[in-house]
Amino acid sequence: MPSEITSDKTKPAHAARSENMARAIRLWITAGPGLAWIILFLIVPSAILLGIGFMSNGDYGSPHLPLTLDPFKEVAGFSILGWADGNLITLLRSLVQSFIATFITVLLAYPVVFFIITRRPEIRPLLLLFVILPSWTNQVVRAYAWVELLGPRAPLSGLAQSLGLIPPNLGLMPTNFSVLIGLTYNYLPYMVVPLYAAAEKLDWSLVEAGRDLYASGPRLFWAAVFPQTLPGLLSGIILVAIPAFGDYIVPTLLGGNRVLMMGSLIASQFTETPNWPYGAALTIIMLLFTCGGLIVFRRMTKRLGGGDGAML
Amino acid sequence: MSRIIPKSIERGLLGVSIPVYILLYAPLFLIAVFSFAPAPGPDHHTASLSWYHTLFHDPQVLAALRRSLQLAIISAMIGTVLGTLMGFGLNRFRPQSGSGWLFTLPSLIIYLPIIMPSLVFGISELIFFNFVHSATGLLSAGLLTMGIAHVTFQAPYVALVVFARLSGLDPNLFEASHDLYANGWKSFLYLTIPVIQPALIGGFLLAITLSIDDFTISFFTSGPGSVTLPLYIYSAIARKGGSPEINALGTMMIAAVIGIALLQYVYTRRRDRQLAVRGTT
Repeated sequence: MPSEITSDKTKPAHAARSENMARAIRLWITAGPGLAWIILFLIVPSAILLGIGFMSNGDYGSPHLPLTLDPFKEVAGFSILGWADGNLITLLRSLVQSFIATFITVLLAYPVVFFIITRRPEIRPLLLLFVILPSWTNQVVRAYAWVELLGPRAPLSGLAQSLGLIPPNLGLMPTNFSVLIGLTYNYLPYMVVPLYAAAEKLDWSLVEAGRDLYASGPRLFWAAVFPQTLPGLLSGIILVAIPAFGDYIVPTLLGGNRVLMMGSLIASQFTETPNWPYGAALTIIMLLFTCGGLIVFRRMTKRLGGGDGAML
Repeated sequence: MSRIIPKSIERGLLGVSIPVYILLYAPLFLIAVFSFAPAPGPDHHTASLSWYHTLFHDPQVLAALRRSLQLAIISAMIGTVLGTLMGFGLNRFRPQSGSGWLFTLPSLIIYLPIIMPSLVFGISELIFFNFVHSATGLLSAGLLTMGIAHVTFQAPYVALVVFARLSGLDPNLFEASHDLYANGWKSFLYLTIPVIQPALIGGFLLAITLSIDDFTISFFTSGPGSVTLPLYIYSAIARKGGSPEINALGTMMIAAVIGIALLQYVYTRRRDRQLAVRGTT
């Protein structure tokens, strides 16, 4: 009997393995050109970028041997002149801005999503489309629109000037506030869409049951509605917080040199006054914070028990 | 179900949603208003189309428009071919049992361009093309390097669209073509291509949109002679902080995107309704 079982098992397993192998070969042949393209033009280049973070700075900002950790010391704020807090502040500012922007998108997305899903089913897609539509316009045009709206000559700045919120002759831009507005505007649809997907499938019988048991409004929301939208919310937080943290256009156009963020700091190492190793080291630190954030976030959501439906 | 929500909360939802919708469109609307600014001249009080006139006679803008379209269409064609093959391969050649790195690695590679921050993407390309150029003299920064980078992010999105379309099909379809003695290549040509045609067109249009919408990756891979529309707008803003002419250009780009999106919405709605009608009769 035992011998029969083993032979019975090995035969199909062996056949399945060779069938799997044949399929894998076909997969790699059909997908091959595209995969080769991505490996050659993205994976190899990003590996080079990571390597450059450990090289010395040459005459024109180009990387040179020997290998060194100097770029990372520079990122940490050490230079010939001693320690400066500039980079630390930039990193903290990026983290705080992206955190606040994410928080505001959550506060705005919930009412908008519940407004949409309580409309007639036929017009819901159209209402959702109207939230997404502005994000399909070019990101430079979008940021520029806010430059026009918040600049010194714009009516909004005039209002703020007359209220004494900002000194006369200055605009609402470039400030931390204008960068925050730009980020929130850019990423609001990324919060609304996953939240909508979760809320549309909402099981309203739970809400009804809660109401029959005389639960208060807030209690109904937290106990019956919120847990059902949690997967959408978690996806939304990832989709908003990560790109907002590394955004480059918004802080550059709406913050200028006054509101430096990680994205604009990194970009300037490759454009204005090149220093590739320093820029590469900054990129590595940014990616480490992004990955670290993701891991911590995932741990937290697992503990909350709601991470199953989330994207990552 | 909406009756479950009390009137007071419904009013609250409306009270937040309406300002949000207004704020989403206010900046775009303002750009359009500014673009009709009066022309510099004697009658400088009436709204005019003079900035649009200037725009259409600006050789720099026209050249940028031509480059943008050229880049978008050619890169989208290559991206669609590579992406379709990847989507097809990932869907059709899945492991019969279990899995293995040979099957998981391709999907990881395909997801990488989608999840990588565009700034890191762009800088990697900048460094890579710079190295290749200084080592071999090939690939100097310009439309070619921009196109290569655009294909790299277009192909994965096309692959996802094609993959999704194939997943929605009946697997027996492929069995049937096999039973009718179609070999792999014939089956691909006469069965797969026709049935995924909507995904092919959709993927191609998506690739064009992605190319025209991109700024960051274009910015780091462009050369002095390859200024496309988004790069032209950016440099104009950086130089003089915007102008009525830039407003006119921005307005036209906004109008084009909104127009295409609404057309597509109406078209898919009508087709869905037609399909639904056909299904019931």
